[in-house]
Amino acid sequence: MATMHNTYEPQYLKVIHPLHDVPEQKCSGKGLGRINMTRPVRVSLGVLRGYLIAMTLMLGYHVLNLAGVFHGLK
Amino acid sequence: MRLEVAEIEVVTTPASKGVVVRHNWQRHLLTFLMVFGPGLIVMEADNDAGAVSTYMQAGGQYGLHLLWILVVLLPICYFVQEMVARLGIATGKGHAAMIYERFGKWWGRFSLFDLLLVNFLTLITEFAAISLALGAIGVSPFIAVPTSALGLTLMVVTGSYLRWERIVIVLCLMDLTWFALVFMVHPSWGSVARSTVMPTIPSGGINSSLIFLIIAIVGTTIAPWQLFFQQSCVAEKRLRFADLKWARLDTLIGAIFTVSVAGAMMLVGNYGYQHDIAFQDPAQFAGAVMPMLGHFARNAILLLMVNAAVLGTTAISLASAWAYGEVKGWEHSLHKKLWEAPGFYATYIACVGAAAAIVLIPHVPLQLVIISVQVFAGLILPSAIIFLQLLLNDRELLGDRWVNRPWNNTINWTIIIVLFALSLLLAAQVVLPQLFA
Repeated sequence: MATMHNTYEPQYLKVIHPLHDVPEQKCSGKGLGRINMTRPVRVSLGVLRGYLIAMTLMLGYHVLNLAGVFHGLK
Repeated sequence: MRLEVAEIEVVTTPASKGVVVRHNWQRHLLTFLMVFGPGLIVMEADNDAGAVSTYMQAGGQYGLHLLWILVVLLPICYFVQEMVARLGIATGKGHAAMIYERFGKWWGRFSLFDLLLVNFLTLITEFAAISLALGAIGVSPFIAVPTSALGLTLMVVTGSYLRWERIVIVLCLMDLTWFALVFMVHPSWGSVARSTVMPTIPSGGINSSLIFLIIAIVGTTIAPWQLFFQQSCVAEKRLRFADLKWARLDTLIGAIFTVSVAGAMMLVGNYGYQHDIAFQDPAQFAGAVMPMLGHFARNAILLLMVNAAVLGTTAISLASAWAYGEVKGWEHSLHKKLWEAPGFYATYIACVGAAAAIVLIPHVPLQLVIISVQVFAGLILPSAIIFLQLLLNDRELLGDRWVNRPWNNTINWTIIIVLFALSLLLAAQVVLPQLFA
């Protein structure tokens, strides 16, 4: 009697939750030290410093104004 | 850098671990559902108590005139948070840890200190809102505030990130009630559609109060803690490289949902504009509209305000606890039990407990707290976003695959310049109000 071979083998796709999966090797900054001070980095940090100084001066003026320091000068 | 993707394996027999499906579309759907969460949470938690108040005030004072701003803010929210998700997936670390690692201790300490301070001050406003809203229902602040603080603590100490995430997603979805309120106030849909796509100037013209409100809306929609929160959350959930497309979709859905809810809040506030109802806060509005809209509307507005404050509190406190834990090198994970990550949980509980306790002190200068939040947020948002942009151009750290493309940089630098200008203007308006008189 002739036999028929069924070659169909169903494929299953397994979906694993990220929390239960094998950890991946991520991009790590270990051993790299600080970021390279390229021109865009230098300029960005410079602008940030300037911005923070301006904000601090404004805040300082506001606090002194609230404390009445400038009232005597007016 | 190993780029092996361990997410999906093709197998010929069902295995015990993971979920086995037969079709590709099932695989995609399931993977998305597994990744879904951080994007929605970070966006919707940003619709916190302060945001409810700001959006409703915008509707109450200017009707539908400011609706278009939300449409402009949608892509901005998405682009900023997409960068955060990408950096979190690529490095598996939080934003504070990356700033420390790549920019040194000074910038690291500055960012962390400013984040913790602005977050703490914001938490005080969240508990003040809980006290106000539940007080309007007749619950004493001495019951409402400690109970909320206890509930917020119990939410995180279960030792399961997924449990916390599911609870918070349910809270996010409760904000759908805002849409039911919109249908109750019967806005003119034609006007809504027009105001959404066509910027119009309110009848009073452009004045300092309008500019301040516009800046407040921008500041409310893009908050500094969001950058720290989503990156830590993505790292906590251990999202894989292959999950990035789903994390992007999650973030996009979150942005659309949040902006839609914000629009709904404006439409509800617009009811006050149409009926000449002046209000200082949403609780006052809820009381004023009760004779016209009924008890459901009043209670819904008050409870949605509480929900917004709870969402904001849990996300903001976690942003602080994750950032502090990362920098200190402590265990900083919701997967850990209370005794396994004592420093991390102590930070969270201290933030929640201290903010709740301050609100219970009689005659606390809340106005000063709100002004301080605006000033310190103005300090930290531009700096945090600059570091984000620089990190996403750090080829040495990320390699070519994860760094920003030129079009990313063009969009992001534009966003950064606008945010810098608005933050400076907001801080100037708060600190030097006479300039805008």
